[in-house]
Amino acid sequence: MIDINDFSITFGSGKNQIQAVKNFNLSVAEGESFGLVGESGSGKSTVLRAMVGIYSHWTGTIRIDGQPIAHKRTPASRKHMQMVFQDPYGSLHPRRTVDATLSEPLIIHGMDKREERVLKILGEVGLGPEYRFRYPHQLSGGQRQRVAIARALILEPRVILLDEPTSALDVSVQAEILNLLSALRKAHGLTYVMVSHDLAVVGHLCSRIAVMNRGVVVEEMSEDQMRTGDLKHEYTRQLWTASHGYDRKALAGFKEIA
Amino acid sequence: MNGSFNKEPLREEPMLSVRDLHVRFSTSKGLVHAVRGVSFDLGRERLGIVGESGSGKSQTGRALLRLTAGNGRIEAEKLMFSGMDLMHANARTMRNIRGSRISMIMQDPKYSLNPVLTVGAQIAESCRRHENIPRTEAKKRALSMLDTVHIREPEKVYSLYPHQVSGGMGQRIMIAMMLITNPDVMIADEPTSALDVTVQMQVLSLLDDMVRERGMGLVLISHDLQLVSSFCDRVLVMYGGRIMETLDAKRLDEAQHPYTRGLLNCLPRLDGRHDDLPVLERDPAWLAQPSDASGVFEQ
Amino acid sequence: MSEHTQTSSSVVSWLLADSPHNAFQARCQRAYISWLSFKSNPIAMLGFFIVLFLCLVALFAPLLTSGDGTTQELSNRLAPPSSEHWFGTDELGRDIYDRIVWGSRVTLYIIFLVSIIVMPIGLIIGTTAGLFGGVVDATLMRITDIFLAFPRLILALAFVAVLGPGLENAVLAIALTTWSPYARLARAETLTLRNSEYILAAQIMGASRVRVLLAHIMPMCMSSTIVRLTLDMAGIILTAAGLGFLGLGAQPPLAEWGAMIASGRDYLLDQWWVPTIPGIAILVVSLGFNLLGDGLRDVLDPRSSGGH
Repeated sequence: MIDINDFSITFGSGKNQIQAVKNFNLSVAEGESFGLVGESGSGKSTVLRAMVGIYSHWTGTIRIDGQPIAHKRTPASRKHMQMVFQDPYGSLHPRRTVDATLSEPLIIHGMDKREERVLKILGEVGLGPEYRFRYPHQLSGGQRQRVAIARALILEPRVILLDEPTSALDVSVQAEILNLLSALRKAHGLTYVMVSHDLAVVGHLCSRIAVMNRGVVVEEMSEDQMRTGDLKHEYTRQLWTASHGYDRKALAGFKEIA
Repeated sequence: MNGSFNKEPLREEPMLSVRDLHVRFSTSKGLVHAVRGVSFDLGRERLGIVGESGSGKSQTGRALLRLTAGNGRIEAEKLMFSGMDLMHANARTMRNIRGSRISMIMQDPKYSLNPVLTVGAQIAESCRRHENIPRTEAKKRALSMLDTVHIREPEKVYSLYPHQVSGGMGQRIMIAMMLITNPDVMIADEPTSALDVTVQMQVLSLLDDMVRERGMGLVLISHDLQLVSSFCDRVLVMYGGRIMETLDAKRLDEAQHPYTRGLLNCLPRLDGRHDDLPVLERDPAWLAQPSDASGVFEQ
Repeated sequence: MSEHTQTSSSVVSWLLADSPHNAFQARCQRAYISWLSFKSNPIAMLGFFIVLFLCLVALFAPLLTSGDGTTQELSNRLAPPSSEHWFGTDELGRDIYDRIVWGSRVTLYIIFLVSIIVMPIGLIIGTTAGLFGGVVDATLMRITDIFLAFPRLILALAFVAVLGPGLENAVLAIALTTWSPYARLARAETLTLRNSEYILAAQIMGASRVRVLLAHIMPMCMSSTIVRLTLDMAGIILTAAGLGFLGLGAQPPLAEWGAMIASGRDYLLDQWWVPTIPGIAILVVSLGFNLLGDGLRDVLDPRSSGGH
């Protein structure tokens, strides 16, 4: 479904030039969910943003369903890949009702039966019709994230990119959103690419995980490796250990990894 | 529950003693009762306060220093800090206590550091504010403090501005600034949530050292139950402004309260399956119960 | 009576209902809640009532006066305030009260025209420059800078000198010298909005730049523009009065407050009411707009109402 080959992207110029992602390769099958884990500055979100066309100056090839995507995207080409952002407070327009937010993609792509579709999608993300005409400030963080997921789904895409979708939420709300995401994936046969700094969250939703550090994938791991901690790269091991909570003895062995 | 704690000698004399603490805010939508009758003692230990957003955990931390925002009112039967009554202390006494005897670290160092002064100058300034020592002496102490918090090139970092340092470095600098006055109690409100996991561990180990080496009391406020329980000695679990349960951190698995159990169960686990996570059911009856007061040392 | 309270309480419950049933109700609710918070600020309400009073006076001018303020009564020149002439008469024996009342229409006319010229120009230029960036940004902003570089009254004078004196030309001159700070304001806001996640989300959905500009960015810049305009209104009235004072604005015999001060200045010492009364009128209206603007800022500021 998704094939990325030799993807690189550079920001800035001259002395301040930073190569955010180097020779990145990715291959995700249809219906699979793939996780990208890394710390801030590792380039994990940059990959997602390039895929949806926020950045256009990358090199390499990105193929979705066999079709290479152009650097300049046409509206129609965007329809099959949507994104859910991290901050549920920042990703909804504060002056638009839920209805306006959800109807807009339908208007842009000229889709019919708007009211029906909006009500259906609201039901699917677990919000009743009574939420349809509320403004974002009348919703809780979890409800906003549900609206953001509904907005991504309303165009019936095949690929959803998740950029830290639960890291701004309380743990109990995080559990609800994670459950919703896995239920939606099963129901619609969606392909997920999820980015997070939290190994446990990615591990819960994804069957394959790539660990990124400073713009490079250092290791790719399976579910089993994730469970047992049988990992090759030192950075991955550190991340795995740190995700298990505070451990004074293990910390002593941590190194800065360039 | 209380009987399950090992009574170590240093816990006999609490440094900080809180009884029946209430914090109320008057807002345009009416009175908001953020903290409802919280009681606990703090010895020379690592005490965690855990709760979700709106549980009153941060307001509890602020109330200890009487840093509650202008429209809030603090009430407590007792708010004692090593023999001093913080409830009735005047503004001047409070200013002297803040920073020099009780310090506070906030979540994001970006907003806690003055952007137009070098970090070194800020640490030295904080040192001079509490002790009347010459400038060169203050600088020397600031440099050695930067070294204490494991900053590799203290001389270089001393002359950097806050925007030139990374998040983890910034939080270490904040800790250095708070520790230079040698406080008895440190209140850390989500000190590591803005940081990467591995950096998070390093900052925590630093706080750990301070508690061990200096006999400091630490209050760690966080939303992350797993992290707090792996780090602290005792954990207070808060919900709706009340303490639901006081736990020995090592016996987290024995937690009794359904809220604590719910919080633990809804966390995705590294060794877990892809089954649906249990969703936390909140029982309105929890809000009717009085706060759990077993965080208090028996006297 | 009881029926009346019943309907009003059902309207309030409709306005405060937890889940609105349609977009119209949602919008009304939003406005009503803003109004409630505006109402709780007495200073802002004072400003609101001054502006409302100005509008009512202008609307009912024919009912409030006996003439149209141009009738001369040369035998009764420079009469002091009396029961017959509340604010006295001017150097041509015209009733100053009548002229003040009719002058409110001129003032409102100026305000209306300036607003409908300045707001769209400032918003479109500012948001376009901010969103598109690059050459578009540089070009539009240099043009803005040129307009910013001139002192306002002088530039207005130059425009009027070219266009010829008259009320409409004065308004045009004021508008052309006022829009540039609005463009700067809108551009600055657009720059912070441009990278916000909801704008990115709209682009990912396939929204065109024009749609993002009109449907997403402009509504967010609108409130600060309205606030700024309300606060600037005092300055606009004063500039209009200044042009009137210099004889380049409203032409006689049209009653314009600035022109009234100009023609009355010779009598300041002996017949003080002739220039003072229009001066007070300008003062009160300017103050009213300033207070209103301050109150609106608290209500409309996206940082206070839009978010958390």
